[in-house]
Amino acid sequence: MQNTPHATAPGNGIKLVLAWGFVGIPLVWGVVQTLVNAIKAFQ
Amino acid sequence: MAVSFLNRERTIAAPGYSRWLIPPAALCVHLCIGQAYAFSVFNLPMTKLIGISQSAPGDWKLTELGWIFSLAIFFLGASAAVFGRWVEEGGPRRAMFTAALCWGGGFLVSAVGVYLHQLWIIYLGYGVVGGTGLGIGYISPVSTLIRWFPDRPGMATGMAIMGFGGGAFIAAPFSVWLMSRFATPAHVGVAETFIVMGLVYFCFMMVGAAIVRVPPTGWAPAGYVAPAQPKPLVTTQNVFVYDALKTPQFWLIWWILCLNVTAGIGVLGQASAMSQEMFRGRVTAVAASGFVGLFSLFNMAGRFFWSSTSDYIGRKNTYFVFFALGTLLYGLVPYTGAIGSIGLFVLCYAVIFSMYGGGFATVPAYLRDMFGTRYVGAIHGLLLTAWSMAGIFGPVLVNYIREYNVTHGVAPAQAYNVTMDVMAGLLVIGFLCNIFVRSVHERFHMRAVEAEDEVEAAPVFGGR
Repeated sequence: MQNTPHATAPGNGIKLVLAWGFVGIPLVWGVVQTLVNAIKAFQ
Repeated sequence: MAVSFLNRERTIAAPGYSRWLIPPAALCVHLCIGQAYAFSVFNLPMTKLIGISQSAPGDWKLTELGWIFSLAIFFLGASAAVFGRWVEEGGPRRAMFTAALCWGGGFLVSAVGVYLHQLWIIYLGYGVVGGTGLGIGYISPVSTLIRWFPDRPGMATGMAIMGFGGGAFIAAPFSVWLMSRFATPAHVGVAETFIVMGLVYFCFMMVGAAIVRVPPTGWAPAGYVAPAQPKPLVTTQNVFVYDALKTPQFWLIWWILCLNVTAGIGVLGQASAMSQEMFRGRVTAVAASGFVGLFSLFNMAGRFFWSSTSDYIGRKNTYFVFFALGTLLYGLVPYTGAIGSIGLFVLCYAVIFSMYGGGFATVPAYLRDMFGTRYVGAIHGLLLTAWSMAGIFGPVLVNYIREYNVTHGVAPAQAYNVTMDVMAGLLVIGFLCNIFVRSVHERFHMRAVEAEDEVEAAPVFGGR
């Protein structure tokens, strides 16, 4: 199957930042919480 | 109008759509349903709904509450198997919407159960309805991710399934925080927490349903050229979902997943107690809980690392690594106790848990290699029954072996040695199963007309 040259729609960058931030921020928060608790446990 | 929004045709991507929006869409679902791993934070508060500060007569027992999680995992496997074809043919948005309704609704029904203090309502809400949402949600983005990332299917599905492992990291502190906000001297605050979580999860999952898209027929990433010669063990054909059940490959991979999960799950629940008994006086209960948190991080990271690695070294080789390295490490764990090396113990366990997670995350791409992309989500759904089975047998096996040893005079610290040897034996069987995986015979392949991916004629374009 042939492909035409790639063309990125305008505004994709903002959508990507919003979408990744939407899932990434809670995930990073959860990971940090777990790490903090783990470090506390080792002390 | 609302129904047409859910139709597969309405989710076909317009030109210029970035495929990198699909992993966050999948993560919206998997981060929510991953809460299941953190359900245990509710167990203790739910044993004190009447007594508040301590359990009172009439309060639920931990053994009764344990069935909530077990039911949810059972219905995860059952619903993924039963609804897999429906998910595949209806498209990801309808599946994600249904999963959001079931998952969020399960929490709301459970809140009613807590309010009325009727345990069967929680079994029904979280266990049956929520468990069904778990199963549908788990498989909903799999084939979509594989279609958008034909060049990196392992990495793509690994990202989503990593979210399932990571969901507990968010849910555990979030649940504890909510309960602390709603708790009063006369009230534990579980019902209100369930209501808030149900609504938050529904909204979060609906964001995923809104942004998910399927690629148009014939779409391929810019610059991607399908290999002229099919790679060994990577088919270019498709196998119908129920025909896959007739192939030895499906059952070999079923056992591969089941054995990998059984070995992992078997020691998952024992990690805390094992570390304290093997290093008596040196590892406290609090430190052991720190180990478990650390291992959970490796479980999550392993999902992404190993599934991405499988894109380069192949699925079969990846499982060979799991089984060979796993056998070695399971055998090494008792030795770490004998020499008193906590560092080596933690290292062994961290790698073991990374491979436990990796086993889950790599299997969708393994199925795609064997059976093609057309029904991979549905076939993955059928395969998840292996997880349900392992969820029952893993802990039972470990507890039985330990009990047998302790009652026959083996010291508690040494009782784990036999357990680890048995788990290593299971991995050897998994290794043998993996050896026998070959390409699916062509008599199982769908005819071209059957295998049409999409009905609609859509423009062909490239994208990133």
